[in-house]
Amino acid sequence: MAGLKDDPVLGINDMIETREETEIKDAVIDKVREEGGQGDREMAPMGNSIHRSGSRPQLDLSKAAIQGNSEERDPTILLPNQSDDISHLALDIGGSLIKLVYFSRHEDRTINDKRKKTVKERLGISNGNRRSYPILGGRLHFVKFETRKINECLDFISSKQLHRGGIDTHGWLSEAPANCSAVIKATGGGAYKFADLFKERLGVSLDKEDEMDCLVAGANFLLKAIRHEAFTHMEGHKEFVQIDHNDLFPYLLVNIGSGVSMIKVDGDGKFERVSGTNVGGGTYWGLGRLLTKCKSFDELLELSQRGDNRTIDMLVGDIYGGMDYSKIGLSASTIASSFGKAISEKKELEDYRPEDISLSLLRMISYNIGQISYLNALRFGLKRIFFGGFFIRGHAYTMDTISFAVHFWSKGDAQAMFLRHEGFLGALGAFMSYEKHGLDDLMVHQLVERFPMGAPYTGGKIHGPPLGDLNEKISWMEKFVLKGTEITAPVPMAPPGTTGLGGFEVPSSKGGTLRSDASALNVGVLHLVPTLEVFPLLADPKMYEPNTIDLSDHNELEYWFTVLSEHLPDLVDKAVASEGGTDDAKRRGDAFARVFSAHLARLMEEPAAYGKLGLANLLELREECLREFHFVDAYRSIKQRENEASLAVLPDLLMELDSMTEETRLLTLIEGVLAANIFDWGSRACVDLYHKGTIIEIYRMSRNKMQRPWRVDDFDVFKERMLGSADKKPHPHKRALLFVDNSGADIVLGMLPLARELIRRGTEVVLVANSLPALNDATAMELPDIVAEAAKHCDILRRAAEAGGLLVDAMINTLDGSKENTSSVPLMVVENGCGSPCIDLRQVSSELAAAAKDADLIILEGMGRALHTNFNARFKCDALKLAMVKNQRLAENLIKGNIYDCVCRYEPAS
Amino acid sequence: MDLRHNEIEGNSEPTQSLGQTSHLALDIGGSLIKVVYFSISRDNCIDREQESSANDTLGFSNGNCKHPILQGRLHFAKFETSKINDCLEFISSKKLHLGGFQHHENPGKNKNFIKATGGGAYKFTELFKENLGIDLDKEDEMDCLVAGANFLLKAVHHEAYTYIDGQKEFVQIDQNDLYPYLLVNIGSGVSMIKVDGDGKFERVSGTNVGGGTFWGLGRLLTKCKSFDELLELSHQGNNRVIDMLVGDIYGGMDYSKIGLLSTTIASSFGKAVSDNKELEDYKPEDVARSLLRMISNNIGQISYLNALRFGLKRIFFGGFFIRGQPYTMDTISVAVHFWSKGEAKAMFLQHEGFLGALGAYVSYAKHSIDDLVCNQSMQLPVSASYTADPNYNPLNGDFNDNESIQCSVYAA
Repeated sequence: MAGLKDDPVLGINDMIETREETEIKDAVIDKVREEGGQGDREMAPMGNSIHRSGSRPQLDLSKAAIQGNSEERDPTILLPNQSDDISHLALDIGGSLIKLVYFSRHEDRTINDKRKKTVKERLGISNGNRRSYPILGGRLHFVKFETRKINECLDFISSKQLHRGGIDTHGWLSEAPANCSAVIKATGGGAYKFADLFKERLGVSLDKEDEMDCLVAGANFLLKAIRHEAFTHMEGHKEFVQIDHNDLFPYLLVNIGSGVSMIKVDGDGKFERVSGTNVGGGTYWGLGRLLTKCKSFDELLELSQRGDNRTIDMLVGDIYGGMDYSKIGLSASTIASSFGKAISEKKELEDYRPEDISLSLLRMISYNIGQISYLNALRFGLKRIFFGGFFIRGHAYTMDTISFAVHFWSKGDAQAMFLRHEGFLGALGAFMSYEKHGLDDLMVHQLVERFPMGAPYTGGKIHGPPLGDLNEKISWMEKFVLKGTEITAPVPMAPPGTTGLGGFEVPSSKGGTLRSDASALNVGVLHLVPTLEVFPLLADPKMYEPNTIDLSDHNELEYWFTVLSEHLPDLVDKAVASEGGTDDAKRRGDAFARVFSAHLARLMEEPAAYGKLGLANLLELREECLREFHFVDAYRSIKQRENEASLAVLPDLLMELDSMTEETRLLTLIEGVLAANIFDWGSRACVDLYHKGTIIEIYRMSRNKMQRPWRVDDFDVFKERMLGSADKKPHPHKRALLFVDNSGADIVLGMLPLARELIRRGTEVVLVANSLPALNDATAMELPDIVAEAAKHCDILRRAAEAGGLLVDAMINTLDGSKENTSSVPLMVVENGCGSPCIDLRQVSSELAAAAKDADLIILEGMGRALHTNFNARFKCDALKLAMVKNQRLAENLIKGNIYDCVCRYEPAS
Repeated sequence: MDLRHNEIEGNSEPTQSLGQTSHLALDIGGSLIKVVYFSISRDNCIDREQESSANDTLGFSNGNCKHPILQGRLHFAKFETSKINDCLEFISSKKLHLGGFQHHENPGKNKNFIKATGGGAYKFTELFKENLGIDLDKEDEMDCLVAGANFLLKAVHHEAYTYIDGQKEFVQIDQNDLYPYLLVNIGSGVSMIKVDGDGKFERVSGTNVGGGTFWGLGRLLTKCKSFDELLELSHQGNNRVIDMLVGDIYGGMDYSKIGLLSTTIASSFGKAVSDNKELEDYKPEDVARSLLRMISNNIGQISYLNALRFGLKRIFFGGFFIRGQPYTMDTISVAVHFWSKGEAKAMFLQHEGFLGALGAYVSYAKHSIDDLVCNQSMQLPVSASYTADPNYNPLNGDFNDNESIQCSVYAA
């Protein structure tokens, strides 16, 4: 029983750990714990005849409990203050910039390989991990400083104590005290130059790693591990490229730093520097400074956006009197000679606009790099050229120019590709060079990229310490409010003139506008979540694309941005209320709204800023922002209220259902799911509805309106699979995974009765719910309470829940009780590994993956999981997608229907 | 520059003033106009019946005499395109345009035309018409470059040479083993042409970082008044002041693993970044030097990559950027040597700047003469004797050894 007592505490603890992800400080954690505790009590009032078994749903009853208990006694996880207990750092000190990659790890058990193994083993059988949340491997942070301001960098390292976590000789996984002389991996020329300074200031030695080794290791890691890393950029259009890991090599890596290195990469650690050029980023900046008096690289780059190079470059047209030299394929706008016009005119340096000079220079250098790169790719028969390094800085024009050169000289055969983490290749590689970091083995699906608050503002700027502290963040936001809109206001980018560059068409960065700091890097924090897995039932994981709605369509993008913006005030109200409506909560709410709006504005300007953008990403971003400002569960009280209200009418509903024939009941159940799906706080239309009636009224009214045929109606096929036809009785499914959506009526009056029907027919049911709250969606944490409450009034549910280990007391009863009690198939709950209204099935929790092993039916419910995402997903087993469309536009686009139309799509196993 | 014209004129003046037949072709580029003209030296004049007629200078138009031989000189002159009037004046004063061809088909019109190439041949058509009353007969630029280069490589001894470590060494070209080669013409921009034979070629590449870039950027950075002044400056400069060398990054050490010496330029102008110095704080000499190295090196590299791509062993560099400038040639040679690991050699041409103009000159043959015999005879129109100055003095910064070629023309 000791274990039982511990359960609630552990649940809270899990919550804290997850919140650490958003860098909650200790004080706040305490508060959260308190609230979390209260929450628990509210959800599962003491004195209930049936107790839930902590937060942790379990798949297999006996073993899970025992092992879970034994684990819970392990003290190491009960250290809420131990957030970034193991940090880790690598540096790339270049001629102009210092790039820093550091890792912060949460205390968790994945450190211990043996333990990891046993957990995995158990997942297969019992899934008895007592955690509610995916184990967080840690986070990779990317920061940069100017080399000449190296002291800022040293201060930063010192303040974060990053050097203390540095590798000692025992390897980084050991928890050995960090007092032995720390060693930090570093690369770039500065690793030599500044070695003494680091020793002096921080007492650490720099362990120099070869620059090329690092570049290649960094690029290989990024290309393998990050889904939306590589992209093409032609004429202002950015498109992410899916790289097949098995077909990555060989490629040409062009790193544009001060100078340019061109490296032929044949495999991990297999590479050769085949070429390079001394005309690189340093040339641009150096010459640019001399010619324009710009104070920074970024300033120079920004100037170029307003430039017209025709005033300085000699074009083919200038020589041929406006005519093309078409015989050899040169159009009049081709640059014949960079700076060639500066010859014949009587103008002096002062007579030229700095903007024009900067553009001429940028074109000259970018184009030259593109050309030499292509010639080298050609020489070695390399199809892919990846460009990295700090010269590019996500600058559209630079990328366009390079792309153009490669395209032009290869006559379209070769493509220039760019990397989102372009500047961090070396630093990442240095980081990779630590032995036994385990990063090598990371797979794409184990990495989640988050864009914390700073991203829209500081993403590309050289910046100091990221704001870790909540108060710091809020006051930072407030400062910007005072400064007005200048920060967020996008600066329209003048069309870069009509001249072609060394070639024909204008490489225009169309896309409307570009932000003023167009050089912004769009790099988030990489969360390493080793427990995430690809959902095993996907028919074709390689071709799987979660998003149904492609936001690269600008109209679509604009529409959803409007929807989200309009919904924002209501969300802020809810969020503030959920935190007691205090002044502090209001401040946080304000800050949240601004940050999220800034993200939206950023993405409006550059939709691909954070990788390929789908609706799911947007919705998740909103939840992440909420969590960042410590709104742990904005809809908490609403969810509770609705759960209670729905649970109160559940017995009546069950009675009604039981009085029906099997066939009618199945139809009514599906109708019920669709009807109950109307209770959705994520939908504006539904929020308005709530003011018009009570839950049960709306439910009944809604269900009665469920006239078939629905807009998408495969019910008859589904019915045949379930009930068979005539005298043919089909086998029941072995196990069904029910991806649930909203709390309240949706889960209680819609999905639970359906689950109950399946159980009744001998199908094991696994309820799959969110790991973290998102809107009013039910979470895996809350489900056991809901099930327990429902089970009070229903035997079928009770026995199944007992069998599934959801009801602890009952479970113990079964151990010494009669066998009939265990005859039920189990009802279980697993978390899905995400905290978004949508679900990306490439990254699900390992327990969901384990639960999927024996599943032969998937039911996806709700707009987020069945329409916005996964509408087109195909599965290895039978799949039923149920949703009411609560958005007119979506209805029109997706099913050519109207708002409140229903989707019942059944797809038998392929 | 004008001075040099004068020298050239000085040489040819006597023959000119004596009303000798002459002949003219132009290459009007973005920054320079190159002029090639022929004058018959009186004393060497072979006995001919029509030599006094200015209108059928070379006898091309009336083929009633078999293979007359004209002995004379090919003269080379250049002007800045921006000072095109000087050029017009020069032509006019020497009456060069009067030696032009009449259109064979309608001699009645008595209209002169002059072969011209380069973009300016299009741009300045009207100007020539107005000022001199002559038509410019446009010849394709690449055709001319190639024809000029082929002509020189076949007909002129000691035309091609290598330049390594300050040593100029002439290369004997076997005419039967000339093709294929890569011709890199560095004018304002750079064209790279794969030449497979007479009239058989393809422009395979090029770069917009060329002579115009050197001069243009150089002017902005140094306030030099002329290209030659800029070149001169570069002699006295030290690029280490401005360029970021491998050693600067690695604290004086080589990055030997990938074969980079500490003196290798890692980033041209890279030091101008980190210093707090402004443009005025740098010596123009150093700036010019850095610029020259940057551009020469880049051209050398791209040329080599293109030669490699097509398996071409020989790379000939021509065009006005080079001007027999030792440091330029040295840098290009080093770049080719470095990137080819010693397998390819950069070669230069004595008449580097006049390929196009020469080509245009040579092209008179194909348009003026109807029958095949004449075409053939024009394949090797000139047996040139030419004395190069082996003691090339770089400080002259000059190409005055180009001024003329004594030659004989076998006309149909």
